[in-house]
Amino acid sequence: MSDQPLVQMVKISKSFGTVQALKDVDFDVRHQEVMGLVGDNGAGKSTLIKILTGVYPPDSGEIYFEGKKVKISSPKDARDLGIETVYQDLALIPLMSISRNFFLGREPVKQVGPIRLLDKRKMDETVQEVLAEIGIRVRSPDEEVAILSGGERQSVAIGRAVYFGAKLLILDEPTSALSIRETHKVLDYILEAKERGLSIVFITHNIYHVYSVADRFTILEHGRKVAEFAKADVSAEEIIEIIRSGHKAATEGEERGPSG
Amino acid sequence: MGQVTNRTGRGTAPPRFSLEAFLTWLRRHPEFGAFAGTVVVFIGFSITATRFLTPDSFAGILTVAAELGIVAAGITFLMISGEFDLSVGSVLGVAAMIFALTVKAGWPVLGSWAVALLASAGIGLINGLIVTKTGIPSFITTLGAMMFWRGILLAVTKGFPIQFFPRTLPPMFFALNGRFVGQFRTSALWFLGIILLINLILVRTRYGNAVYATGGNRDAARVLGVATNKVKLINFVISATLAGLAGCIQFARFLSIDPTRGVGLELEAIAAAVIGGTLLTGGAGNLVGTLFGVLLVGMVRSGLVQSGAPAYWYQAFVGLIVVVAVIVNTRLRRWALG
Repeated sequence: MSDQPLVQMVKISKSFGTVQALKDVDFDVRHQEVMGLVGDNGAGKSTLIKILTGVYPPDSGEIYFEGKKVKISSPKDARDLGIETVYQDLALIPLMSISRNFFLGREPVKQVGPIRLLDKRKMDETVQEVLAEIGIRVRSPDEEVAILSGGERQSVAIGRAVYFGAKLLILDEPTSALSIRETHKVLDYILEAKERGLSIVFITHNIYHVYSVADRFTILEHGRKVAEFAKADVSAEEIIEIIRSGHKAATEGEERGPSG
Repeated sequence: MGQVTNRTGRGTAPPRFSLEAFLTWLRRHPEFGAFAGTVVVFIGFSITATRFLTPDSFAGILTVAAELGIVAAGITFLMISGEFDLSVGSVLGVAAMIFALTVKAGWPVLGSWAVALLASAGIGLINGLIVTKTGIPSFITTLGAMMFWRGILLAVTKGFPIQFFPRTLPPMFFALNGRFVGQFRTSALWFLGIILLINLILVRTRYGNAVYATGGNRDAARVLGVATNKVKLINFVISATLAGLAGCIQFARFLSIDPTRGVGLELEAIAAAVIGGTLLTGGAGNLVGTLFGVLLVGMVRSGLVQSGAPAYWYQAFVGLIVVVAVIVNTRLRRWALG
């Protein structure tokens, strides 16, 4: 593993009007690791991720990707770098077919006379293969996403990121609306994506879900980073305690844990 | 949802007929309802109206359907991307008026035509900019536009019609809406060409995929990198330009235009799109459905008259079809999704 992190966000600050959403937050993700980004509602998790994915510009701070300083000013910029995000409710568009969703914005085309037409065959074949790998069975890749369960949708979205060669995969509450069985499938699939060399940021409220797959944790509270732990140095209960009790426990934690 | 019964083994399903396969097919073809309705109404009028099954009668249906259909094609495209355009009827009137006035003033016909289309595109651009920049719903924006441009039209013409009776009809008028075989008019060719072209864009191009995504879930489309505002803007321009084209085509048929031309057309176009399976909320639909929706409306219009019913019944009948069509489409969809 190279010693340089894949992503490094340095002293990121962001405010919306008078509300300080993030204050001097440092955040990094190493190569091929699952980073759990946790904290209570309003802790700044989403804002931090939206800055990393080009949805918001930061007020101050710097972002390094693979050691190079980068400016990410749109979701497309992030995608071009290899940062793919799977949002809980925005992963796929239910009314569209699986293969149209899978290739949205990156459709393979073939030149026919003056216009470029979608290469439907390639789209369908690719999706068929990916679905088979994930273990989702459908009659045809032309089926609407609406027939897939929540877990299947998350898996398809993760499969899409892997297929398009993502280096960093950001999962926003990927398991929060799923049944227990589906949650396990998605968690397994996250580990599989890691095996393939991806780094993953897992944002969640559910510490038990993230604890089973994460290598490290970053805890945010009121827009500040209050702790960062390697999994070996902290239990799920301790993380919950830090989030529940706020800053005091966190300072203790920081003394114990390796700081970033 | 998520029933195991929905799934057959991995890989492509073997092509065999079953209810399940039919449901799958149905789910992906919302235009089937409009097709079935068209067949039913066609058979009905074939029985009630003695002269319904004649070339002249078909030509009459197509003439009505083509002009409505060109407008409905643009509306469908825009509706799939999640927006409405209630101003198409007024745009049709404005375009026809610009065309009429400039041709009368002795402009070259092609130049007049181009100016009428450009003006229509301009109105569409303004609608699109207002909707995407201010976030006001397109229903309100284009309701305002509908009233504004109709008012301008009435004010400029002072309510009088404009007529154009040249000694010899310019060839461009023939190209727009001349008779080419019997009573069949070239407007039908424009209509079919536009339907095919827009459907090709919608179903087989990247842009079409972006249109479905924009209407299906704008936020999701945006985070997936689709320029949703650009898509909407372009579709507003297309919708208005096609309304303008329909206005020119209509003027080429009547050789006169009065300032109330196109009143109520926007709702008829939306009705045709909805009958064809386009979702009012966006994200689903296609032009094949609209084609049948428009043919259905056209058939009802001439079929009722030919059956001896007073023309007043037309609106009531179309209203009925819209509601029934949407109920059937929704039920079918829910049933097919299981």
